[in-house]
This record gives sequence, C-alpha cells and structure tokens, in this order.
Amino acid sequence: MISAAWVLGQRALREAWRTPEALVPTLFIPLFFLVVNVGQAGKIFPAQSTGFLKGQGYGAFQLPASLLLAASFGTAALFLVEDIEGGYFDKLRSAPIARTSIVLGRLIAELAKGLLISVLIVLLGMVFGITIASGVLGFVLLVGMTALWSVVFVGFMQLIALKTRSAAATNSGGLIFFPLLFLTPNFVPRDMLTRPMEVAASFNPVTYVMEGLRSLILEDLEWSKILPAFAVVAVTGAVMLALNVRMIKRYD
Amino acid sequence: MDDAVRAEAMVKHYRSRTGVVEAVRGVDLRVQAGEIFGFLGPNGAGKSTMIKMLTTLLSITSGTARVAGVDVARDPDGARRRMGVALQEAGLDPRQTGRETLVLQGRLFGLSAHEAAARAVELLELVELVEAADRRVKGYSGGMKRRLDLASALVHQPEVLFLDEPTTGLDPASRLTVWDEVRRINQLGTTVFLTTQYLEEADALCERLAIIDDGLIVREGTPDQLKAELRERLGLTSDPSLDDVFLDATGRTRSRAAGDVQEVTA
Repeated sequence: MISAAWVLGQRALREAWRTPEALVPTLFIPLFFLVVNVGQAGKIFPAQSTGFLKGQGYGAFQLPASLLLAASFGTAALFLVEDIEGGYFDKLRSAPIARTSIVLGRLIAELAKGLLISVLIVLLGMVFGITIASGVLGFVLLVGMTALWSVVFVGFMQLIALKTRSAAATNSGGLIFFPLLFLTPNFVPRDMLTRPMEVAASFNPVTYVMEGLRSLILEDLEWSKILPAFAVVAVTGAVMLALNVRMIKRYD
Repeated sequence: MDDAVRAEAMVKHYRSRTGVVEAVRGVDLRVQAGEIFGFLGPNGAGKSTMIKMLTTLLSITSGTARVAGVDVARDPDGARRRMGVALQEAGLDPRQTGRETLVLQGRLFGLSAHEAAARAVELLELVELVEAADRRVKGYSGGMKRRLDLASALVHQPEVLFLDEPTTGLDPASRLTVWDEVRRINQLGTTVFLTTQYLEEADALCERLAIIDDGLIVREGTPDQLKAELRERLGLTSDPSLDDVFLDATGRTRSRAAGDVQEVTA
C-alpha cells in the first residue's frame, strides 16, 4: 500500500507542478491578505506599545492566519474530482492496489506541497522583518504544523469530492472553512475578543492551531500552546483519514 | 479450461430518489478464452453496469462472476491482475505524458521502475505512439488517447481485456486503427470483451455476441447464427443485417430507433 501511495503521490506532485495556475494563488492570496490586514490594522497595534506582539510588528501576529489560509485551498481534491469525472479514477481503481493508497497518495503530495508553500510564506515574512522567536526548531514546527493542517483540510475536501463526485460541490464545500478561519482570534488575542466571540472561538478547533502557530512566531517554544495545536491537527487528521478510507472502500 | 468470463445470475440494483432501479436483472454469460466477444444493447440497457461489475468497479447485488477463473467479488485484486480495463471516455490523466501513464500503470501492477519503463517502450511500439511518448496526453487526438488507453490496459499482460465502447466519438479512420489494435491484441492471445454502440463494429470484430435489453440478455450467438435465426423465424428472403437483429431483439422499429437508439442511426 505504501509503495502504491508513494507512486501516486509522485504523480500528484507532477500534476501540481504542471498546473502552476492552480498553485500560484495558494501563495499569492495569503500574502495579499497578509499585506492588506497589516495595512489596515498595523497602525492600531504599534510594535513598541502592543504587549501581545512581543516586540514584533503586526505582520508577525497576522502570519498564522495567512499560513492557515494557504493551507485551505484543497486543490488536490479538485484534481481528484477531475480524475473521477475524466475516468482516470476508475483506471486507478481497476489496479490491484489498496484503494486507500489512492487517497493516501494525494495526501502525501499535499504534505509536500504544504511544506513548500509554508516555507516560502514564512521566508517571505522573514525578508520583511518577521522573526521566528522559537528558533530553528520553531521554524520546523511552524511549517510542519501548517503542512499537516493542509493535509487535514484536503482530507475534508476529498470527502466531499468522493461523496458528491462534483467539482462545483467540492469547491463550495471548501467555503465552509472560511467562517471557521474568521471565528478565531484572527486580529487580536482571544482574551481581547468580545465575550460571545471568545466563547465561539474557544469552541473552534482552528483557534488552537492558530494560537500554536502564533506562539512559535512570537515566543520561545511555548509547549502549552504548541501541544494543543498539534493535538487538534492529530485528532482532526485521524478523523479525516478514517473517513477517507471508509469512503473510498465503499465507493461504488 | 476455465471460461475467460463466466457470469451467473448477475443482478444489480441501485437505490435512487424514486426507488430501486433494477439495472441488471439476472444475466448469465460465458466468454470462451481467446475470442472477441461483443456485448450490445441500447443506451441504459445495462451494458456499462455489467462491465463495471465484471471489472470489480461496481458491487454485485447478487449472482457470481469469474474472470480468468477468479471470482471478482471474493478476490478482486486477483481478478484485477488477470484483466485489463479500458472504459468509456479514455480514462487518462491529461497532465502526464504517454510514457509516464504507462510507467505509472506498470508500477501499480507491481513492476519495478526498470521493468515498468521497459514495458512502456514495448507498449508504445505496439500502439504506435513512440513519437508522441513524451508529449502530454492533453495534446493527443481522440484516436491517440484511445490507443494509449488500450496500451495502459495491457501493461500487465492480462488474460482478458474489457473494452467499453472503445471507438465511441472517434472518426472513421481512428476507428479502423483501433479495430486493428483490438485484432492484434487478440491474436497475441488476449480474450477481448467489448461493448459497442456500433453494430458494424460488432459484425467486423466479434466472433460471438450478446444483446442486453432492460437488464436481461435477449440474444446470444455468433453474428451469422443470429442473422440466420431471424431470417428463418421471419421467413425473410435475404440475410438480415445485424441492425435488424438488434432491432428485433430489443423490440424497436427503425422509426422508433431513430428517436431513442443512437447506435442504429449511424
């Protein structure tokens, strides 16, 4: 199964590399929002007098939101729908491989893409003065957590793709994430939100991923924030993986 | 010796919003090893459902099917190793090259990277796509895609090749090229099970055929046997065509067929 998943993962990476028009927005749009958000709110939160920025600019505080946005495009699921609609999915299903390897191959490729894109975004942020306060290990954890979250998100999108077999439905399904992305301490820390918003954010798992990423940028290794973030990624990832396996095994 | 394909009492029911659809309602089939077998029927008669059940792509509601002696429901991977599949709408990845398509398919069938590359070269030569091997599939013509799809179904040297409407949408020249490929593949020892919308295709290629209508087999035999049976039964003075056999078997008339059976209007 691992061998087939690896071969299919390589194919998915070739597919991404040969479709730059699908890859470029994944990089460009998060950077666009980073610039816009910092431009709109940067003056409200000056580095010198805003405690929660830990001495950095507002861009450092906003970077996790951009990383999570970059991890939430789910283009791999749209390629999966193309495979289904074009008949290539049936070609793969007619091979003597574990059907699980078909979805695993795409998840492996998404991990690699997620690593590349998050490295690029963080490096660009560093060029513009953002520092990773948690050091080299923190950098690795930062891009690793982002890439794993992109796998979780694609797992969710693949579920919609396998269930609906429709590009339009899969695309629309991805929009479910956007309310979750904004129902977080996106612009200010959680304790500065209004009470109803704070309660809502506390129930939102994305909040803990965002806070974990943010702590890696603004603070030294703060495990009390990093571990819950990885726990959310691990639990949601396990759920998505299990559901993907179940869905493809029952695909008829 | 086992039949290449043996289906017994195969049934497929789907659940739909309007209730249960009985797509296949108890089909028995025997395809002998080494023959080209044609499977015909009007649109929606159950052809594609049957081929998908036989190729492990669709679950079987009841009944059994064996391909190259292997039960497709009990040992799907074993059956997949013995069969090649090229379904409607050549199932190819447009972003890969022809060579990459074949190498990947070889790897999925357990070949090493080196073996898969060597097999890809053999198959590219077989289907005469050597010059286009390193071009992306999205630039191929319909005929080239069909030939590549055929080649990818042969990567593991299957005993039985399933072709679902292999020439639908092709121009006449490309159709003849695919016919030649099918004959050549068959001469190399592969049993071919094909569905088609074109009755002249069945007449030209198939040694035996079956006609399915409304989920049931309504005729089975060689093209000559089926024509002779119709001539005798209706007391015709000349040999009927396979079109006539088809229309008789499916209860359609030429005027009605012109409206709802695309395959007899060509």
